[in-house]
Amino acid sequence: MKSLGFMKMTKLNRDETRPAGIKLLFAAVLSVTALVLGGCSNGGERDADDGIPINAITLPTDVVLNLACEDVGVHPETCVLDDPENPFATTTIIEFNPNFPGLDNKFELFNSIPAGPSGAKARFYLWATALARRPSGENQFYTALALHELFDANSNVLDEDELIREQAKKAYRSLLDNFFGSVTVFECCPAASPDGEPVAFAIPLNELTADNLYRTDATGLRRLVPGDPINVLELLLEWGYSYQPASPPNFDDGVIVAGEF
Amino acid sequence: MAGISLTKRVKVAFGLFVLALALCLPQVSYAQSDVVTTYKDENGWQLRVNGEPYYMKGVVWGYTPRGQNYTYNLFGQSDDQIRKILDYDFGLMAEMGVNTIRTFTMIPPKWVTYIYEEHGIMSIINPLMGRYGYNINGKWVPFTDYSDPATREVLKRDMQVFVERYKDTKGVLMFAFGNESNYGLSWSSFEIENLPEGEQNTAKARYLYSLFEEVIAAGKAIAPNQPFTIVNGDLQYIDLIQELMPSLDVLGSNVYRGKSFTDLWAVAEEKLDLPVAFFEFGSDAFNARSFQEDQLNQALILKDQWEEMYQKSYGMGEEGNSIGAFIFEWRDEWWKYLQIEQLDIQNTNASWANQGYEFDWAPGQNNMNEEWFGIVALGPSNSEGVATARPRTAYYVMQQIFSKSPLELDRDGVDQLFAGINLELLDLKGEVGKLAAESAEDKRRLRLTGGRLEGEMVLRGNEARIDEEGDDALSFSDGQMAFLDFEFQPNDRTQGQMTVNILGNVANKQPLEFSYGDRGRPLSIQTNERTRVGGEIVVIEDVPVTFNDRERVEIYDFSATYEGELADVEAFYHTSRFHWGYEGDHWGLLRETTDIPGMDIWNAKAPQGLEITGKGDFKNLTFLIGPEVYWGANPKFMFKYDFRWANFDWTFIHSEDLARRDSGVDPTDTTVRQNRQTALTAEREFPNGIKLELGGIISAPEEIDETFDRIDRQGNVFLDEIENEDALGFRAKVTFPWQETYVKATHQGLVADAGTVHRTFGVMDPSRLPNSGDGNKQEIEAGMIVRFGDYMLMPRVLYRDNLVHANPTIFPSIEGGVLLPGTQPRDTDTDPFAVLGNREARSAELYLTYDPTGATQFYDWDNDWREDAKFAFNIGGTYTEYPTFTDSYLFFFEPIGQNVPFGTGFPAEDVWGVSSRIVMNPNPSARYIFDIMRGFEQASGNPGGKNDGTADYFEFHWSAEWNRKHFFSGYYKQDAFGPYDFFRQFNLQYSDQWQLDYSMLLGGSGVQFGSVQDEERATRVGIRAQYRALEEGDELFDVNGDYQFQTILYFTYQF
Repeated sequence: MKSLGFMKMTKLNRDETRPAGIKLLFAAVLSVTALVLGGCSNGGERDADDGIPINAITLPTDVVLNLACEDVGVHPETCVLDDPENPFATTTIIEFNPNFPGLDNKFELFNSIPAGPSGAKARFYLWATALARRPSGENQFYTALALHELFDANSNVLDEDELIREQAKKAYRSLLDNFFGSVTVFECCPAASPDGEPVAFAIPLNELTADNLYRTDATGLRRLVPGDPINVLELLLEWGYSYQPASPPNFDDGVIVAGEF
Repeated sequence: MAGISLTKRVKVAFGLFVLALALCLPQVSYAQSDVVTTYKDENGWQLRVNGEPYYMKGVVWGYTPRGQNYTYNLFGQSDDQIRKILDYDFGLMAEMGVNTIRTFTMIPPKWVTYIYEEHGIMSIINPLMGRYGYNINGKWVPFTDYSDPATREVLKRDMQVFVERYKDTKGVLMFAFGNESNYGLSWSSFEIENLPEGEQNTAKARYLYSLFEEVIAAGKAIAPNQPFTIVNGDLQYIDLIQELMPSLDVLGSNVYRGKSFTDLWAVAEEKLDLPVAFFEFGSDAFNARSFQEDQLNQALILKDQWEEMYQKSYGMGEEGNSIGAFIFEWRDEWWKYLQIEQLDIQNTNASWANQGYEFDWAPGQNNMNEEWFGIVALGPSNSEGVATARPRTAYYVMQQIFSKSPLELDRDGVDQLFAGINLELLDLKGEVGKLAAESAEDKRRLRLTGGRLEGEMVLRGNEARIDEEGDDALSFSDGQMAFLDFEFQPNDRTQGQMTVNILGNVANKQPLEFSYGDRGRPLSIQTNERTRVGGEIVVIEDVPVTFNDRERVEIYDFSATYEGELADVEAFYHTSRFHWGYEGDHWGLLRETTDIPGMDIWNAKAPQGLEITGKGDFKNLTFLIGPEVYWGANPKFMFKYDFRWANFDWTFIHSEDLARRDSGVDPTDTTVRQNRQTALTAEREFPNGIKLELGGIISAPEEIDETFDRIDRQGNVFLDEIENEDALGFRAKVTFPWQETYVKATHQGLVADAGTVHRTFGVMDPSRLPNSGDGNKQEIEAGMIVRFGDYMLMPRVLYRDNLVHANPTIFPSIEGGVLLPGTQPRDTDTDPFAVLGNREARSAELYLTYDPTGATQFYDWDNDWREDAKFAFNIGGTYTEYPTFTDSYLFFFEPIGQNVPFGTGFPAEDVWGVSSRIVMNPNPSARYIFDIMRGFEQASGNPGGKNDGTADYFEFHWSAEWNRKHFFSGYYKQDAFGPYDFFRQFNLQYSDQWQLDYSMLLGGSGVQFGSVQDEERATRVGIRAQYRALEEGDELFDVNGDYQFQTILYFTYQF
């Protein structure tokens, strides 16, 4: 009722009737103008000394991998994106889009990296970056495979790279734990197809993983699990999977089952 | 009644509405008015009606039922309902002995006469004369400048119209103008500011009282049979009144001095020698110290006050200048505290302090409870839709006092009258009445207050099924749900409400319509099952599993308040909440969440949280915390501190996300990164009317040092990183009084994202300027509002540049062991910023508005219900040039629970839109509203698909009502996006979309016809038809064929 209204209005009147503060107002208007003029001059360009050019980045050819963190290359760890040695850290890895199969995608990059040990480290960074950006079984599998390559390159009969071995095993296990039902797609055999086009077929990555661990011929690489191949089966059991290896000469009829045993 | 907590809306309601209502009333004269005069002899002053002494035994009358506020229009009801309400209220008043009322509602002449003839109660006609703002030649002026010649002319002219309209109305006792107008001298002018500070208000008051004199002098020439007065705030400026107002017949004043009016009588006699009438005085009936209703102390104060008035009346041997008064007030008003919220609750918040009321005054504490001033308590509505009233002790005390007029008594008689009042007995009567009323209301700790039942039957089909199954293609489903409303008040300091929703069947209306209750639809998922076959475990993949009867019962909304000594605490869950834009949040960090129906579509439950508002020494502090304090917010807390320094009003706000949401606000809306923002704003209105707003913000400092790539004009790709300055934003806005012209400039660093940009007219603003709160920009916006008569022209322009442009798509490649990384459009998840809605823009628009009834402003949020002009419209358009392309938008992909980028951005393009809204009220029983839109606009996510993400569309919406009983609404859209946000997000355009809806109200809703509440609370039955078609051969999303349709028969029963 009266009291507060009266006091409020009296205060307002008192405050509002001070001298105009023209200088302050003028300064504010000038500031506004400066902002506007500043806004019109830049045109979306940063200063010339901002940033570093990354038009071309030479890929690593060595096989010494410095782990950026304990679980680099293992989902859900994404520290590879902050790894200063990662040449793909700022590169957008384009996933395969089945609606637009003709568009460039990560496999173009993959195929452009030199084969053999000199490309293994680059392949690791490519797939680990892809995995960090887009968690998928495919990205996890190829990350593990690249680590497997690096392990092979760094190992010999007398001295095996234990650090990378464990990293590769963690990556393979991550596929089974996190992406058990994932597949990758291969194209094959245009000659056998009616229209002469390659035929796409999906391969379960869980079986491919087990096969890579179990059979050296599958990868042409040194086995991650030392000793008898049966150790692989025991390792898989330890991880919670049972594996019935493929029966040569058919290498695609292996069966891996998840569960408690 | 002083405008202590009245907002601009109230001012509009009390000022413009009253005037407009009166001006729109039919010109009816009742040529039998009484002759009212003032009389003086050596015994003092008398008021006389037709020569007979008359002492005003009055109350300030108003009628606002529970659940309503200042927008309630009693005289917009049917005559039958008005009669019921008046008979109830004035019958009770007549029993008490009231013979005169004062009211803020402008009662139409025929009802003034009705009240007088049926109940013997006369009325004061009291236009507020610009006290809370006024419409001056089509422009709403919030602080009336009584020195302005045009304002004076308009006010004088309008007041004469009032007097002319009522002068011959039987039952009119007196004309009064203003309401404590001397407390509202808030305008500024150079002339005034050049005076010494101590004289400025006096100079303003001179203009006020001289205008009063002109108005009264002119009024007396029109209505010589009634006295004229003003409603002054106490005796302030009494010397000016004496000097400037020779025509004044009675000194009218609002006085809150406690139980005695002290020296007022003597001062008035000495200075003015006029009879005195109090137009407001009294006490609230709530004890802020014991925190409970206090009928006795209210009655005691009124008894003392009336005893003094009787003693000061004619022939009592004292000043003899009391001729009566009006108790503030007749009924409690439950809307006073928050005004638009908690209208069903009588708040116990004390909003100001007055030491004159000793019974509950304490140092540093407020003790005046705005919602408790009635001498009758506001009860629930009875079976006839009339809000009941429960007399308080004060009513019974006044009944005894009013049994005699002081003009019938001598001094001894007065003393005997007051000595004979048995307060204990009357208080007992009041308390018994209270208990009986509470019992009647069945007031318990938790009680059911009402609810509604909804049912619907749906028949639907589409081309694909019709082609397949012919006549059997139509499918039928039905749905039912109930809402139960509860209130609770576990103790005097805590109260609240909640609504529970219960689902029966859920009708299948998707994809044509998504609606509340869809949460209960059967959910089918595919899962892998393990089974043992011949001793081996076999996994059977993709086994379908359906869950029925999901989530049948849920809490729909909830709110509760606790009123403490140092702070009030409010818990809220899915109830409307407003932004802090009027409290210094110029960066829009706290977003408004009022679209409850829009959220219900997705069963979103925002806002949710807790707000703690300081009181007393902590009154400038507000703390807000919750899992979703506005729709789409991450779990966060916000802190706000307001203060005044160096003649500026400052506001400091800090907002801190505590986590990141795991899903969007609808199935495809993106989640946003966890963020931190700190803002400081200052504003001041200078005496010359120029308003200045300044602000700074630090946003997303956690993103400093994050890297991003960009490309320069030569095509070189750079790896850059966020620096300190990229988290800073600055803002300045200057508003000039001339044509409400404003200029706003904003610089926001790359990651200096703010919140919502507030528009001049809020949600109803027709503007299509591409405003964005995001950073990475330098922007200037300017506009003005040019008013001429009933027309309003709004030109606005916006110019925006980015600090860093969007990235184009350059595919990475590897050549000879060298990686050429290329660039891809950024997105807001994997990059610290992206160019999206904040893209470069050059935009201009022009809107013309015609609205001859300013009291119901065309851009008010509820104008669809309230607009009362016979014809009002707006028309205009916006043209925007987007000179650059954007980065990539995201969408939320539910199966993986993550945002996914669309991958490409929108191209540079020029877009435009034109629209018109037309409201017609050709007669009191019909209303038509049309919205017409034509546009060429881009989608909001997917730049691919039909027309490469741009829609060239036409829309026509309408609603019509007849007799406020029959409603017909609908729309037709051509080549437009579908009706929900995700249609535009995914660029889903349809060649034709129709909706037709007819409904009929069955019986009254118990609230004002034609109001928002009426829409929400009405029992009704209706039918709705929907049709959506793709273009012939459109291959996208054609699983339903080229067209789909459905018809919904629905009913809502309120109880």
